[in-house]
Amino acid sequence: MNTDDLIASLAHDVQPVGRHGPGRWLAAGMMAGALGTLALVGAGLGFRPDLGVAIHGAAFWMKGIYTASLGLAALAATARLARPDPGRMGWVWIMVLPVLGLAVVGAVQMAATLPGQWLAMWLGHSWRMCSALVLVLSVPIFGGLLWFFRRMAPTRLRAAGAMAGLTAGAWSATLYGLHCPEVSAIFVLTWYTLGMGLAAGAGAVLGPRLLRW
Amino acid sequence: MRASEGELRTWMVAGLAGDADAYARLLRHLLPVLGRFFRRRMAGRESEIEDLVQEVLIAVHTRRATWDPDRPFTAWLFAIARYKMIDHFRQHRSHCPIEDVEHILATEGFAEAVGARADVGRLLATIPAKQAEAIRATRIEGLSSAEAAARGGIGESDVKVSVHRGLKALARRVKDSIL
Repeated sequence: MNTDDLIASLAHDVQPVGRHGPGRWLAAGMMAGALGTLALVGAGLGFRPDLGVAIHGAAFWMKGIYTASLGLAALAATARLARPDPGRMGWVWIMVLPVLGLAVVGAVQMAATLPGQWLAMWLGHSWRMCSALVLVLSVPIFGGLLWFFRRMAPTRLRAAGAMAGLTAGAWSATLYGLHCPEVSAIFVLTWYTLGMGLAAGAGAVLGPRLLRW
Repeated sequence: MRASEGELRTWMVAGLAGDADAYARLLRHLLPVLGRFFRRRMAGRESEIEDLVQEVLIAVHTRRATWDPDRPFTAWLFAIARYKMIDHFRQHRSHCPIEDVEHILATEGFAEAVGARADVGRLLATIPAKQAEAIRATRIEGLSSAEAAARGGIGESDVKVSVHRGLKALARRVKDSIL
C-alpha cells in the first residue's frame, strides 16, 4: 500500500482518545480476574468458617497487608511495562520492604516460641498445597491482565510477563487468605512467597509468547 | 524542515482529541523521522525500511492511547520503532550487524543522550555562531552541506569552511580542557 494512502486512511479514523483509557482497561481486567479468583476460592475451597472472628486478629491482616502491598507495587509496575517506554524501573525494588518486614515479624514470633515448635510453625497444616493453590488461583487474574495487555503496547515482553504474573500471584494470595487459616509469619513468608514467585516465573516464560503484538 | 518534539507533541495531542488535520500532519512528519531511524540501523534495505515505517505508523495509530502525555512523544515513538525492528529481525531470522548494536542501545539511554546533547551545546556556545550552526546542521542533524547552505541562506562552500574551522576550534577547546 502507498504510504500516502495509508496516512490518509489512518487520519480518516480519529475518534477522540481519552488519556484515562489504559487505567480503565487495567481496572476492568483486574476486576474481572479477581472476581474469577474469588469465585474459585468461595466455591472450590470455601471461605474459612471463622472469617468473622479472624478479621479481628493480627495474623489475618499481616497476611493481607503483605500480599496486597506486593500486589499494589506489582500492579503499578505492570501498568508501566504495558507502555512502549516504561522509563526507569529501579523503584520496583521497594518490593523487598514488605518481604523484609515480614521476615522481622517472623523472627520476633520465633523468638517468642520454643525451638521445638519452629518446624510446626513453618510447615503449618497446609504447606504442601499452599504454593500450588496460589499459583492456580492466579490464572483468572493473569487472564484479565492478558486482556489488558492486548490493548496496550509492551516492548519488554519478559519483564512485562513476569510482573503480570507477580501481580496475579500476589492478588491471588490475598484472596486465598480468605480461605487459608495459617497464622505464622514464617509460613506466609515461605509458602505464599513461593506461590507468588512461581506465578511470576510462569509469567516470565509466557510473556514473550503471549504479549507479542 | 525537521519537526521538533514540541511540534510532534502538539499535533499528537490535537490528534488524540479528534483533530484529523493535525493528526495527518503528525503522520506525514513522522515519515522522515522514522526513515532516518531505520536507515541508520539497517542501511541499504530500502524495501524492508518502507514496510517497517508503515508498520510503525499503523502501530502509532492503533496504540495511540498508550502514549502518556506526561512523557516525551519521541521516546514513545522510538520505543515502538525499536520494538517493531527487533520483531522484524526475529521474524526474518536475520541479525543486525554488531556495529549497529550501539545505536540501538543508545536510543535506550534517553537521559544519557540528553545529557550528551547538553555537553555538546555548551561546547558549541564557545565558538562563533555561524560555525556552531554549520556543525549542528551537518554533524548533529545529519543534513548535507547543500541542505544546510539552503537553510542558512549561505553558500555551500561557506558551510564547509565553517564546519572545518569550527571543528578545529572545538578540538582546541577540548584539548585545553583536558590538559
